Amino acid sequence: MSLEKRIRNFLKGPKKGETFELKSGLVSQYKGERKDAIQRVIQAMTVGKDVSALFPDVLKNIATYDLEQKKLVYLYLMNYAKTHPELCILAVNTFVQDTEDPNPLIRALAIRTMGCIRVSKMVDYMEIPLLRTLKDDNPYVRKTAAICVAKLFDLNPEMCVEFGFLDLLKALLKDPNPMVIANSLNALYEIKDMNKDPNLDVLPITQDLIKNLLTCLNECTEWGRISILTTLTDYHTSNVEEVNHIIERVIPQLQHVNPSVVLSSIKTIIHHLDVIPSQAQRSTILKKLSSPLVSLVSSSIPEAQYVGLKNIRIILEKYPQILSKELRVFFIRYSDPLYLKLEKLEIMIRLCNEHNSSLLLSELKEYAMEFEPALVLKSIRSIGSVGINLISCVVKSINLLGDLIDQRGGDLIINEAVIVLTNILRRYPGKNDLITLVIPIISNHIQELEKSEALSGYIWLLGEYPKYFSGLKEKLSSLLEGFLEYESSLQLNILTTIVKVNLKVPGQAYSGLLQKVLELTTKECENADVRDKAYLYWRLLSSSSDDSQQKVILSKLPPIKSTVSSFNPNVLEILIQELSTMSSVFHKPAFTFIESPKATEKKRAGSSARNIEDLKNLAKQEIINNVKNENLLDFDDDDDDNDQNGESQGGSSNLLDELNDLFNTPTVPGGQSSQGSGSSSANDILSLFNAPNPTSVNGVSQGVGSMNLNSQPKNNTNSDILDLF
Amino acid sequence: MGQVFSFTNIFGKLWGIDKEIRILILGLDGAGKTTILYRLQMGEVVTTKPTIGFNVETLKYKNLTLNIWDLGGQTSIRPYWRCYYSNTAAVIFVVDSTDKDRIDIASKELHTMLKEEELLDSALLVFANKQDQPGAMTAAAVSQALNLTDLKDRSWSIVASSAIKGEGLTEGLDWLMDVIKDEQL
Ligand SMILES: Nc1nc2c(ncn2[C@@H]2O[C@H](COP(=O)(O)OP(=O)(O)O)[C@@H](O)[C@H]2O)c(=O)[nH]1
Ligand SMILES: [Mg+2]
Repeated sequence: MSLEKRIRNFLKGPKKGETFELKSGLVSQYKGERKDAIQRVIQAMTVGKDVSALFPDVLKNIATYDLEQKKLVYLYLMNYAKTHPELCILAVNTFVQDTEDPNPLIRALAIRTMGCIRVSKMVDYMEIPLLRTLKDDNPYVRKTAAICVAKLFDLNPEMCVEFGFLDLLKALLKDPNPMVIANSLNALYEIKDMNKDPNLDVLPITQDLIKNLLTCLNECTEWGRISILTTLTDYHTSNVEEVNHIIERVIPQLQHVNPSVVLSSIKTIIHHLDVIPSQAQRSTILKKLSSPLVSLVSSSIPEAQYVGLKNIRIILEKYPQILSKELRVFFIRYSDPLYLKLEKLEIMIRLCNEHNSSLLLSELKEYAMEFEPALVLKSIRSIGSVGINLISCVVKSINLLGDLIDQRGGDLIINEAVIVLTNILRRYPGKNDLITLVIPIISNHIQELEKSEALSGYIWLLGEYPKYFSGLKEKLSSLLEGFLEYESSLQLNILTTIVKVNLKVPGQAYSGLLQKVLELTTKECENADVRDKAYLYWRLLSSSSDDSQQKVILSKLPPIKSTVSSFNPNVLEILIQELSTMSSVFHKPAFTFIESPKATEKKRAGSSARNIEDLKNLAKQEIINNVKNENLLDFDDDDDDNDQNGESQGGSSNLLDELNDLFNTPTVPGGQSSQGSGSSSANDILSLFNAPNPTSVNGVSQGVGSMNLNSQPKNNTNSDILDLF
Repeated sequence: MGQVFSFTNIFGKLWGIDKEIRILILGLDGAGKTTILYRLQMGEVVTTKPTIGFNVETLKYKNLTLNIWDLGGQTSIRPYWRCYYSNTAAVIFVVDSTDKDRIDIASKELHTMLKEEELLDSALLVFANKQDQPGAMTAAAVSQALNLTDLKDRSWSIVASSAIKGEGLTEGLDWLMDVIKDEQL
């Protein structure tokens, strides 16, 4: 080595640090050193270090006969292709060669990596290798290539269709290998979600396809099975024989260890169940669902149990009998996380029936003695629900609540119990035995009532059942003492109760209180609703007949039916169709939180730009108004509206310019914003009111939300929003 | 694992055994670079497609291990040539002797490349390729078009070749080996 060369090498810069070492290793003249360096690069990458700067040098090592080294380089490429999209082109030659390699692993690896490089340039080079691998002899290569078609579609849908890749993919649904079929199905579903062309039938679900899928259901991996089961629920038939066949094939899947397979199978069976004409046969099939449902709750992962419970709640509402013998399964375990305990309670009260109610009540009592407040509260509510749902249990429930207050007490329990007791009386109005049971319990703890829901329950009972309370007068007067400090809902409640008591108790015993409450509410109370109601009563009491007073004021409320919430029937139908998805965890139909790509596309094309525009106008208008107001004050200028460009508006125009600068996002055409600053605030106002979509802010944020869920690139909207803020 | 590797590497280094000599084959697209690489490696003519990226092959030649890189010559890929310059012992520049229209572009690319610091010490072998074609420029004519005589402080040579017939390749490579052997070992 010449002296000159050594000096130059020396001058090249610091020759230390990990990156430098790795770099020189990667371009070493010794094979072993290169491989060693690659291994160290991958090691650094997997522990999260950024080694993307080495991209060109790692890439050089892709053309090798060493399988292990090739795999590592491929791994690296997939990870960093995004940071060096233009350099990926250098790998094309190797990719294409590798898709012809005698080793199927390499062929699959090559096409998979090519698909993972999300660079539009790559699309041009994908045609030949993708065609080749889709027709490969080896199923492993074909199944990998199938997924690549979906990726290609994402990058360039037109090309994907024109070059026949979509048709090839559809043809793979008849592949002899079940794994290939499952992957193709998955890819087609992905494409279906991305597709924006209404004339393109991505996945026609035919009788033949279904037949074929049923045959390979048992030979697929768990994810393949889920895709197939999903397809089965997208299939509609009224052919009883076919339905029997489907159900017959799906039933064995109920035993699968993967809860998602189990849930999807349940969903499939429920989907086709109604076609079966015989009630007896239907209920036999339903019975087979109960132990798989139970298996969802026996998972060792609490999150999985939670998802199971959420799904069970939906199914229970459609088929309330399905788990009627399984109450014990849902008993709370000490070690359950709180969210699981609460969700279990939801299921338990829905399973309550004549046979298991005493068991349930004693269990609920235990929970009410627990430590976590949320659990305690919900348990007390649940005790109430049992009494409200089953008349045979009502006395037991009331006594249980009384016991809890006596044995444990505390504001939390007392307030909650009073709310529940009031509800029980609203369920069974006018039942003497229940009233005499409940009212003493409440009367003993009036001092402890502080939750407004509990207080208003108590106040309502005073007016509803005055003769059951001793010392009624003192109770009512004490309510009047702090009257002005109560929130208005309680004030309304007290007012009504005193008016009712006056009508119910003959004689003038309570007229003093009535006088007082009417004066307080009409003269001193600030809330208009309270005042209005007081005037209403006043007029009614002073001008109309006794009879109509009674009718209006003492009319009976309809009894409540249940305190257990239920879905609206339409929502329930959708939730049943969307079992085993995010919908069943949120208990909301998917369309409420995910936009369909078509809708999103429209929004992205049209109104997202407009929404931003609206927001800008709104903000501008606000400032114009403020400036105008000031001007009016300062100059007392009558012609203000006509004098937009006059001197007096100088201040506001300047401000507007600044404002426009502030809002100037790259996507907004300059012309539009300068128009805003130029002349007409009237236009701005018009456009504000003409805006077809008044919930502009929601629209945009929804777009962002669905972006996360779909993981579709929607940088457009996103960056708009970022720019805005 | 790293330890074991380093250990064998030290041995390799001591004896100069596994050391590979890096050689780049550059030139405009269609000049015959890929054909030359595989002719050298396998001794036969392969059908080629435009190289989007690169090929690299290792071959033993007179007890030396050569690591020969064939880089794509398209305009879009030429800017990436520089990624491959470091540690390069020699450049083989291939010219399509029948492509008189683009000989000036070839000359320009050649001289730009040779100005790169990392290539200051690399030897240069030019193949005036496709001599089997009628109307091909002679090696001398190519040499003149490329202004090779302007090159200072560099070992260079030009050899008339035909990758298809396999002529001139060994001759060129022999010259190259002589030049770089001393420096590499
Ligand atoms: N007649 C002739 N054709 C050649 C010769 N060398 C290469 N070719 C042809 O030139 C075309 C381009 O060759 P290729 O090796 O791909 O060029 P590259 O782009 O420089 O790699 C191919 O059709 C080769 O068959 C040669 O010496 N004589
Ligand atoms: Mg080539």
